[in-house]
Amino acid sequence: MKAIRIENLTKTYKGQAVLDGVSLEVPEGGTLALFGASGAGKTVLLRCIAGAVEPDAGRILLGGEDVTGLPPEARGIGMAFQNFALFPHMSAEANIASPLEARRSSRAQILDGVGRVARLLKIDHVLGHHPKALSNGQKQRTALARALVAEPDVLLLDDPLRNVDAKLRFEMRLELPRLLADRGATVIYVTQDYKEAMAIGQSIAVLDEGRIAQIGTPEDIYLRPASIGIARLFGEPVINLLDVIPERDERGVHVRLSDQKLYLAPGYEAAVGRAAVIGLRPEALHFAEHGIPVEIEAETPFNEKTVTLTQTKRGRELFVSRPAGTPAPSEGSARISAAAENAILFDRLTGQRIVPVLHAREAAA
Amino acid sequence: MTHQSPLERLLRGLALVLVVCFFIFPILWIVLMSFQTNETILRSPPSVVFRPTVSNYAAIISGHLDSNVASMGIEFMRNLMNSVILSAGSVALSLVLGVPAAYAFARHKFRGSEDIAFTLLSFRFAPPLLVLLPLTLYFQQIGLADTYLGLIWVYQLICLPLILWIVRGYFEDISPDIEHAYRIAGHSWFSTFCRISLPLAGPGIAAAALLAFIFAWNNFVFALVLASADKQPVTVGALAFVTASGIQYGQIAAAVVLSILPVLALALYAQRYLVEGLSLGAVKG
Amino acid sequence: MSYLEIASVNKIYGGKVHAVKALDLAIGQGEIVALLGSSGCGKTSTLRMIAGFEEVSSGRISLGGQEVHRLPPGRRGVAMAFEGYSLYPPLTLRENIAFALKGEKLAASEVAARVEEVAHLVEITAILDRYPSSVSGGQQQRASLARALIRRAALHLLDEPMGQLEPQLRALLRGRIKHFIRERGLTAILVTHDQTEANALADRIAVMENGELQQFDTPAALKERPANLFTGTFIGEPPMNVFDAEPQDSGGRLAFRLGEGASLDYDAGAFPGALRERLAAGRGITLGVRPHAVRIAEGGLTAQVAANQWLGDQTHISAGFAGGTIVSVRHDRADLRQGDRIPIAIAPADLHIFDRATGRAISHGGQLA
Repeated sequence: MKAIRIENLTKTYKGQAVLDGVSLEVPEGGTLALFGASGAGKTVLLRCIAGAVEPDAGRILLGGEDVTGLPPEARGIGMAFQNFALFPHMSAEANIASPLEARRSSRAQILDGVGRVARLLKIDHVLGHHPKALSNGQKQRTALARALVAEPDVLLLDDPLRNVDAKLRFEMRLELPRLLADRGATVIYVTQDYKEAMAIGQSIAVLDEGRIAQIGTPEDIYLRPASIGIARLFGEPVINLLDVIPERDERGVHVRLSDQKLYLAPGYEAAVGRAAVIGLRPEALHFAEHGIPVEIEAETPFNEKTVTLTQTKRGRELFVSRPAGTPAPSEGSARISAAAENAILFDRLTGQRIVPVLHAREAAA
Repeated sequence: MTHQSPLERLLRGLALVLVVCFFIFPILWIVLMSFQTNETILRSPPSVVFRPTVSNYAAIISGHLDSNVASMGIEFMRNLMNSVILSAGSVALSLVLGVPAAYAFARHKFRGSEDIAFTLLSFRFAPPLLVLLPLTLYFQQIGLADTYLGLIWVYQLICLPLILWIVRGYFEDISPDIEHAYRIAGHSWFSTFCRISLPLAGPGIAAAALLAFIFAWNNFVFALVLASADKQPVTVGALAFVTASGIQYGQIAAAVVLSILPVLALALYAQRYLVEGLSLGAVKG
Repeated sequence: MSYLEIASVNKIYGGKVHAVKALDLAIGQGEIVALLGSSGCGKTSTLRMIAGFEEVSSGRISLGGQEVHRLPPGRRGVAMAFEGYSLYPPLTLRENIAFALKGEKLAASEVAARVEEVAHLVEITAILDRYPSSVSGGQQQRASLARALIRRAALHLLDEPMGQLEPQLRALLRGRIKHFIRERGLTAILVTHDQTEANALADRIAVMENGELQQFDTPAALKERPANLFTGTFIGEPPMNVFDAEPQDSGGRLAFRLGEGASLDYDAGAFPGALRERLAAGRGITLGVRPHAVRIAEGGLTAQVAANQWLGDQTHISAGFAGGTIVSVRHDRADLRQGDRIPIAIAPADLHIFDRATGRAISHGGQLA
């Protein structure tokens, strides 16, 4: 096992910074999900670590050893590519065996190693096939087997579930964390799917335009996103964002939504009077007797949930979600109330989260 | 639309037959000519009904050309051999030099790489006569005139740009990720080149080699100027049929058929692999 | 007679590939219908036959009472949003969208107003005067969608209309487009491989596989009463849990014996007599349970947690159960670790029973299919 440490990595293509001073660390045996929209620099970062791309500046340390500048074959890394990158002229078996061949393993060792990883990934029956005779799911598993077979200390997975169907993607999402934990490798997992990031990563690094926007546990990122941009990337349907100016009265700090007062969790005194944006997750809103009056526009079922698109009197659109099968109005007028403890407050100018400051007395209470 | 009426199908078939006839006719005519004597060829109007003779082929293979005026010796078989040596030799040399160069141009973008690649291609644009005069002088000074080696060297002007540019395209079509994957698996770049890049570009290399072979085979000017009788290929050797006593059409036709045969055989043989290789198709994953 | 009728339509390519097999589909006016299936299931061929870009190999298509399957595309009165956008490069987005109204001879002010309206709907107002090549794929796709929606066509065909959009925008546009189509009483057919999209937009969904129509029903019915094992496992995210089972009826109790000695044991009274008779015939069955119906409750069968994944709004728990894996969805966080033993309970009302040999549904929640 080797820890991964990236220091100040920078890469520029044609005057455009693709990576701009990226630093991060993955502890031995840990799994980091590298999340970001396409073009955020995830793949370039992964290629720098693998040695396929040379960074302009910065260092890459694997297990404390500086590998920047070493050729890919000297880094002891396993990698699975988004487009699988299988060798089309070789059988699945030869594909998987290639890392073992490079280590000059004996024929028996190779057969044994390939057989074991193929059984683990349930592709032992297609080992003789060439890539073009494999289904997408089998290709993906072959690529994964090739990355795993030599038991590398460092495993880089570049969106390996991107090109497989929804059902298999779901199964693999549940299976992968255990598989990776059993192998004991230190893993960087690149994905564009926030659910994959949350399910597979012990920590998540959000990459935005070549910079790390936030790094933390799935809980940190979902419940305490550093900025509006990050809050919008996690959660489906997207978080509701409304412009507000926090006020205070004798009951505490609150915001006004359609003339209804919504009291915030303690600690937001400093936000009073500032131009702010309140973020309310759709699941933090529910239909109630009292609350914000809205008109229901459309109701759509969504992954075991029901999502309602509503419009407030001022024409702002709000998503409300609830577990499927629970009753709620589906058209006409309704009122919604919000669970204020889950509200997230952002500064409207900078887009950064306003962190609540708890005084010792309140924290103790 | 995918549907066709019988009439459409008939017209389409007819059009295809016409096109095929148009392109195949010269070859067909020359094959017919090669089995006729000069008299039957030159009779007017021409006819496709004649008594076939193999005397043209016999004369060429035995090396004795009998015209109605005189008998002379020709060395057509030797010319054929020269063509094979020159074409095969120059293609082989071009492959050894051009394939690694093509790979370098495809994978490594360095300062001026495009300019160098274009300069190499521009050899194809220059009229051969432009370089011939200086070349003749140099070759005579350094003793390369009238040698196979010298001719093969000059033939690189024909073969190398062709192979470089075609093969480069094939290398560029291979996803770099496939090579990265092999290197990350622990293999050196050289073994990656041999085990991954070369086999995947194989059909392209074969196609380029075949094309270069045909171009080299058909070259006339370089050999005419730089080679003496015993190094001349068929293209130059065919001049021997234009004699003082007339043009030996029958024998020229037979010579042409004989000189087409090796290239045709090669193309037919390689075609199988070309199609197979091009339909490998899984390169993009 | 329905508004759009597809009757025994076949599509055979090159005399070999049978892409659409004996398809029957009847769609009412003002309905939104989704053709849903994985790639190669025949959904796009079907759409192209309706639009007129492909000929039917056999069968009939009629629209508004008129046979249209021999008409060229331009005379069928359909509007289409293409998966590949197909905007005209030399025109701005505004001109592209307005171009769709060329045939209707409207006043310039009317055209301008309608372009503004649909542009606002798909959020491209700010980029209307740019050219297709200077905007992103997602923006081109939205323009293509706007161009299809601006017309008052007899039928609107949408081919994977939101595939290129970022997820945040997709959710919003689904709601708005559904509202837009509904409000104007348009009839629309949507082709998609994304069941979330089909569920969100369509009144009814036609599930296709291997060129065959598997089921044509409302999203709720597809989920609650799947006609066969394919629809059952295809619809729903996470997918339905399935287990092979042997029913055993011992008078008062009805037991389903699963793998590794596990057995689901119910009071036979929860199942109607007709179903118990069917089960007694002794043919192999497959049990299906939706993940949200798998409850972790005292007194259930033991399962061992393999993964516990919190996704913010939901928790997905997978557990080793009866020789297979069972997935449970909860809407709160669960404090479970890998290796924990949990009791699993499934109510009889949540059981889907399928014939193992044919895959056809036998019963849903105790009611015969």
